[in-house]
Amino acid sequence: MVSKKIICPSCKTQMTIHGDPGEKIILSCTNCKKKGYFVIPIPNSVSNSISIEINNLIKIYKDVRAVDNISFNVRKKEIFGFLGPNGAGKTTTIKAMLGLIHVNSGTIKINGFNMKKDNIKAKEKIGYLPEKVSFYENLTPVQTLNFFCELKGVDKSIVPSLIKEVGLEDAMNRKVGTFSKGMVQLLGIAQAMIGNPSIYILDEPTVGLDARWVRYIREKIKMLNEHGATVIFSSHILSEVETLCNRVAIINKGKLIAEDTVANLNKYLRIKPRIEISIDGLDGKVPKIIEKIKGLDSVNAKGNILSVTCDSHVRSRIISSLEDAGFKIVNIKTIEPSLEDAFVKLIEGDTK
Amino acid sequence: MKMFNPRAMYVVAKKEFLDNIRNKWVILLTFLFVLIIVIFSYAAGSGETFGDMQNTVFGLLGITSILIPLIAIILGFSTISGEAESGALYVVLSYPVRRIEVLLGKLLGLGSVIIVSIFIGFGLGGVVIASTVGPESWVGYIGFIFLSIFLGFIYLSLSICISSFCKRRITSIGGGILVFFWGMIYGTILMAILFATGGGIEDLMTGDIPEWFFQSVVFSPGDLHQTAVQRAFGVETIEAMGFSIAIPEFLSTVNLIIFHIIWFLVPLILAYYFFKKRDI
Repeated sequence: MVSKKIICPSCKTQMTIHGDPGEKIILSCTNCKKKGYFVIPIPNSVSNSISIEINNLIKIYKDVRAVDNISFNVRKKEIFGFLGPNGAGKTTTIKAMLGLIHVNSGTIKINGFNMKKDNIKAKEKIGYLPEKVSFYENLTPVQTLNFFCELKGVDKSIVPSLIKEVGLEDAMNRKVGTFSKGMVQLLGIAQAMIGNPSIYILDEPTVGLDARWVRYIREKIKMLNEHGATVIFSSHILSEVETLCNRVAIINKGKLIAEDTVANLNKYLRIKPRIEISIDGLDGKVPKIIEKIKGLDSVNAKGNILSVTCDSHVRSRIISSLEDAGFKIVNIKTIEPSLEDAFVKLIEGDTK
Repeated sequence: MKMFNPRAMYVVAKKEFLDNIRNKWVILLTFLFVLIIVIFSYAAGSGETFGDMQNTVFGLLGITSILIPLIAIILGFSTISGEAESGALYVVLSYPVRRIEVLLGKLLGLGSVIIVSIFIGFGLGGVVIASTVGPESWVGYIGFIFLSIFLGFIYLSLSICISSFCKRRITSIGGGILVFFWGMIYGTILMAILFATGGGIEDLMTGDIPEWFFQSVVFSPGDLHQTAVQRAFGVETIEAMGFSIAIPEFLSTVNLIIFHIIWFLVPLILAYYFFKKRDI
């Protein structure tokens, strides 16, 4: 954590911000309230700890700016979530990281290697699972993995253990063309693990899998990370990202609208916790006594549950007011703001 | 830093071969090769015995000029566009491999399938003829096999070019059909031009054919192939409709080889250009 003094470009007010090198701090000026962000500079010694470095990336398809001047870093040994609504530009950014598309401008560095100039070196330590994975129909899983091992220059003797690892032993001699979508996805994961990559880029890795394998993949991501791998993955399941990721980036309409830890995002966005109070005989009606309390963001009642979004310090006032008014409180539950709350607020704000 | 890794190309070629040698259409067409050679040879022998190699080959040239391009187009039309659409190419290109290595690997792998198919088909047919009527004209027959392989590689190069250019598999199918039918309708187009420019059917019958008519053969790989096969058997005149027309000097063996090479290389270079520029 470092401190940095900055000056508001509008009113020249001096402010001090705190954060990690490379971290993007979202802030509003203490004087003129103008909103903006500041990226804590990375000293040379720290830049060695960056796995993926993306600077001012722009990709235009005909008239559409699919990726619009995006910059972010993924640090070594972190799990980084890449979020955004459909068509936001996530897959385009991921494809750019792998050199699958030609970008209009900007630079991408993987483990310090420039994707444009040192394409082969940059890709040597990447394991990739695309959102839409497909293999060769007439090959068996063994032949498929043998092919990818040879392509990466890795000893093929690891193939049986990879197949066992993803639970495809019973289908070892079947053609991949006969596989279900989930089985192809598992083969894709085995393929991504070839050569023990230091960076995993996973585009919607749990799509199409049943609950058992979703759980397996989440555990696998955690395990790979514990063994020192950097994992960047996109997902539309926000709870999944929230559970797994150290940091997230949120992209909308090709623009990066946030990059931080989930806790920091909620803090910056001033998203308040929600209190769920279970009251006997509430019958879906919000008590009038509650409506009079100041500092509440939202109040609603459903059955015997009263939901209130407010600052933490207002919580005791709500409880005492309800008790004073004779309501019988059965249970109180505080729900901390989730990534979903931050995501919705950011996307809605961006849309407006 | 290495600019080209032959090992990566070999790995892609091996995978393409293994994946496509089991293509049911290729298997079917290979059996068809054996069948038509035996049938044509028998027909060339007036239905009493097998005909010799030269008569058999000349009899089936029209059909092989259709079947070989068909196999090559089936193998190559979706090798880039189809794999880009399905997602298989995403994975391959995320590996430390260059696009030129993938492209040449595909060409060699799919080309090997054509070689195996032609060797099995024409080789077995050749053995049947040689064992019954003798191995006369065997040099011409071997020349025919190699020229057939060359024709296969030309159409493979064309179909990979189409596949690199087309964004979607369905448009590649359209492109493949266009290339296939070009070979079939080219002769008709030439005739139409001949008649439109004052020529007539009597010119064809008397052999009084303008020079451009022969020169335009270079725009059709199938016609070039047929002329080259006739040259391989040492034939100097084309027998058509009961008349003998001398193959002009312009279509010498050397020139025919040069035109074959051009037909192979130009689409391949274009294929690389399109593939390199392509967003996957």
